[in-house]
Amino acid sequence: MWALAVALLLAHNAYLWLGKGVVPDTDIMALLPVQQRDPVLQQAFTHMVDAAQQRVIVLVGADDWVHARTAADAYNAVLAKHSALLQTGMQLSEQSQQDWLAPSQQMRLSLLTPAQQAALRQQPAKYWADTALQQLYSPFSGPKLGAWQDDPFGLFSGWVQARAQETPVRPRDGYLFVEDKGRPYIVLLMTLRQPAFSMATQRAVLPLLEQAGVAARQAVPSVELVSAGVVLHAGAGSAQASREMSTIGIGSLLGIVLLMWLTFRSLRPIVLIMLSIAGGCLAAFSLCWLIFGQVHLLTLVFGASLIGVAQDYGIYFLCSRTAADCKLDSWQLLRRLMPGLLLTLAAAVIGYVGLALTPFPGLRQMALFSVIGLLFAWLTVVFWFPALVSASTLNGSSFAAWFGQTRRHWPLLQWNRATLLAALLFAAFAFSGIARLKVNDDIRSLQTPPKALLADQIKLGKLLDAPTPVQFYLVRGASAEQVLQREEVLKQKLEPLVASHIISGYQAMSNWTPSMQAQQANRSLVTQALLAPDGPLKALAAQLGEDDSWIKQMRERALSGAASANGGQALTPEAFLKTAASEPSRHLWLGQVDSQQGSVYASIVALRGLNNYANLPVLKQAGEQLDGVQWVDKVSEISSVLGHYRQYMGWVLLGAYAAIFLLLFSRYRLAAWRVLAPPAVASIAILALLGVIGQPLQLFHVLALMLILGLGVDYGIFLQEQSMQRDRFAWLTVGLSAASALLSFGLLALSGTPPLHAFGFTMLIGIAVVWMTAPCFSQDSPREEK
Amino acid sequence: MAVLLAASACSAYAAAPVDKIQAMLARPPVLCGRFDQSKQLVGIKKPLLSNGRFCVVNGKGVLWRTLQPFPNTLRLKRDEIVQMQGDRVAMRMDAKQEPVVKMINGVLFSLLAGDLSQLETLFELDGSVTGNSWNVALKARQPALAKAIGTLVLTGGAYVKTVTINEASGDRTEISFSGLQSGSSAMTAEEGAALE
Repeated sequence: MWALAVALLLAHNAYLWLGKGVVPDTDIMALLPVQQRDPVLQQAFTHMVDAAQQRVIVLVGADDWVHARTAADAYNAVLAKHSALLQTGMQLSEQSQQDWLAPSQQMRLSLLTPAQQAALRQQPAKYWADTALQQLYSPFSGPKLGAWQDDPFGLFSGWVQARAQETPVRPRDGYLFVEDKGRPYIVLLMTLRQPAFSMATQRAVLPLLEQAGVAARQAVPSVELVSAGVVLHAGAGSAQASREMSTIGIGSLLGIVLLMWLTFRSLRPIVLIMLSIAGGCLAAFSLCWLIFGQVHLLTLVFGASLIGVAQDYGIYFLCSRTAADCKLDSWQLLRRLMPGLLLTLAAAVIGYVGLALTPFPGLRQMALFSVIGLLFAWLTVVFWFPALVSASTLNGSSFAAWFGQTRRHWPLLQWNRATLLAALLFAAFAFSGIARLKVNDDIRSLQTPPKALLADQIKLGKLLDAPTPVQFYLVRGASAEQVLQREEVLKQKLEPLVASHIISGYQAMSNWTPSMQAQQANRSLVTQALLAPDGPLKALAAQLGEDDSWIKQMRERALSGAASANGGQALTPEAFLKTAASEPSRHLWLGQVDSQQGSVYASIVALRGLNNYANLPVLKQAGEQLDGVQWVDKVSEISSVLGHYRQYMGWVLLGAYAAIFLLLFSRYRLAAWRVLAPPAVASIAILALLGVIGQPLQLFHVLALMLILGLGVDYGIFLQEQSMQRDRFAWLTVGLSAASALLSFGLLALSGTPPLHAFGFTMLIGIAVVWMTAPCFSQDSPREEK
Repeated sequence: MAVLLAASACSAYAAAPVDKIQAMLARPPVLCGRFDQSKQLVGIKKPLLSNGRFCVVNGKGVLWRTLQPFPNTLRLKRDEIVQMQGDRVAMRMDAKQEPVVKMINGVLFSLLAGDLSQLETLFELDGSVTGNSWNVALKARQPALAKAIGTLVLTGGAYVKTVTINEASGDRTEISFSGLQSGSSAMTAEEGAALE
């Protein structure tokens, strides 16, 4: 029966790994809860974050423009052959440049910058007449768009200049470029055609970018390449995780093999333990795949550490077998061990079920993976070990004998001065440490991208002055017009923040297409201030020696142009989005979105130059109390979710202690606390230690405390079980388990991934403390000395 | 602005007279003089006449001071363009905000200094030499630039004498230079300070 089940698992695994060529998921976001309460918000994220996720930006910098172009062409030539992987940026055609501003130009009377509005309200006619004259006489008067008569006061060119200020990126010779301290950087925009977090994408794209970089360097040796993109970070992350997964897996396996060899001096127990671990891992992977349709890489990393737990059952059985009377049949031995085995399994499962109850999909997957793995390892021990191991199979080694002896040296807790002193010292340490303990749930602290990537990212962000994709305002309204009007109210609140350099600017659809209301207001402002009969036109005519008919003609030209523009239609986001000029603004307009409250219109107001996170509250405040405006901060949202689950897990941990205590109480009665005390002491010690060394508490520390409970209870049970000849072999079991757990989790502490490091560090200290203190909580000293 | 941005640096194409003209030009480190400008704009009957003083300082920039009909100063430095109306700054563009400023400055600077080899990167040059004088027609290599600037004609001898700009819109500007002085004494202290 069991053989059949294992065969099935084996087949399924073979099918998954070899047949389908599955790759684990590496998106850290996939581990976080999906928030589906607000579809509009969800779509906004998709718009901003997902689009940003698929983007790769490379800046090709050189000493001069010609070199930059040569290098960029070499870079592009490599990528051009792989258009199925990467879509490279559009070449700017002459046509698109010329048509760029046509729709806005027709509507020029409706488009004003805030500064122009203020000037039109305040400045006298003379100011405007002088401005017009100065432009007329000057050989160079700044950018000029179309005929002088169409923009005599330079309002439209001023507006275009303001729009151009929204990005430092400029077109030149069909390329996009930015300049920094005299160095031109050509901007290459690429879009991934496959998900950035897929390992297959990473494996294909990263070498390709590398290759393109080599080509660029060959063309221009002094070229400077600055690359950024989520795929680069994801690639670095998964490479690291894969590396660590194999290091930890192989390290703990080797450690276990070595320990087994020292203990039993025989290959068979090693094979058996491997068998139970393999059964557990195969089953865990298979079933998780069936249930979730995807297995996350972190689950596998976490799963690799599971080996440290899954072996406990096998070790327990093997050690007992070595110790037991030769006349005792293996199946009888199993029956005798059953209560202890069941208890250890139940305690571990209780711990993991706590994890599975969280709404964290990632935690649920890890918990389920672990429960399945443990269950199958346990079942393998129960079904196969008695059949495969007879009393004559095993012989204790001298190492085993020596190790068993060492338990004698442990002091026992008794009502005496030494115990009291130890308790007092520990309490003092615990209080002083825990009092200093801080928490940190910032998602940013969970990611440590390689330094070079981070430096590139920072440089690129500075050069491009691009808006942040994770913090923005979401503006909603019943109609497009209402959304634009609400944007305009919001923008008034943002102007002072731009002036005080909290942000360098903002991108909004209403910058390009003001609301009808604003367009109307702009038109009447211009008409009143500039086109009135006694206005600047009259003064201008006098200066130029023109007559009243010229004034009339200029006036009519301005007004009729505005009236006939776009076939008499006002400028709308829909119309604007069809033009080439909207390309950089398309991510801002969500348009009509279906939500539970019916369909609404929504847009994003994005912020540029936000580089001090301490200013986030100011920005949040700016959007408060405005109708239909919502401040969205994905980073703090995720961080607060992490914080929420850290607290949640804290309670689950306490609950697990209580539940396991009840379970133990049913068997050990008043001695149950002796089993629970070592993990509890270890947990308190860890919290205090974190406080002392100034490391803030994270969710992943709490997760590790959960596992310490699961493992620590095992050790307590082994030492407490009467069925086992409780002397050296119980201690040997604990020693073997703890040593191999330390090996596997200790390696995790070396991980460069902060969550794994936190987890591993906690386990390292915790297991060591449990191991060292567990014998102290025994009821009495071992009866048999030899 | 977008239209101006399309300028380009192309392969150096040198018609034979251009080298000759280049050799004729004096190109002193400092050059100052008087300019007379006449602008004929579509939709305005009378030509707009203005005059003033200009200075071109090699490596520093250009000062263009209109004195008639009203005072106005245009100052081009490597990284910025400033337009002063009396004491009021009417316009300021700097390269940090607007990367194209450098290119615009480069063109204007080369134009006034008669630096044909620089202009050649942006324009096709076609010229002829007669005795001590020469003339060159400039046609933008990029259509967008052609649309923005139109065509230019320069005439001169040891120095540029006239610049004529014909815009696609039909506007026409003629600038002629006279009373040219070179050397350190050419520039007044006031002008020197303005360019610092």
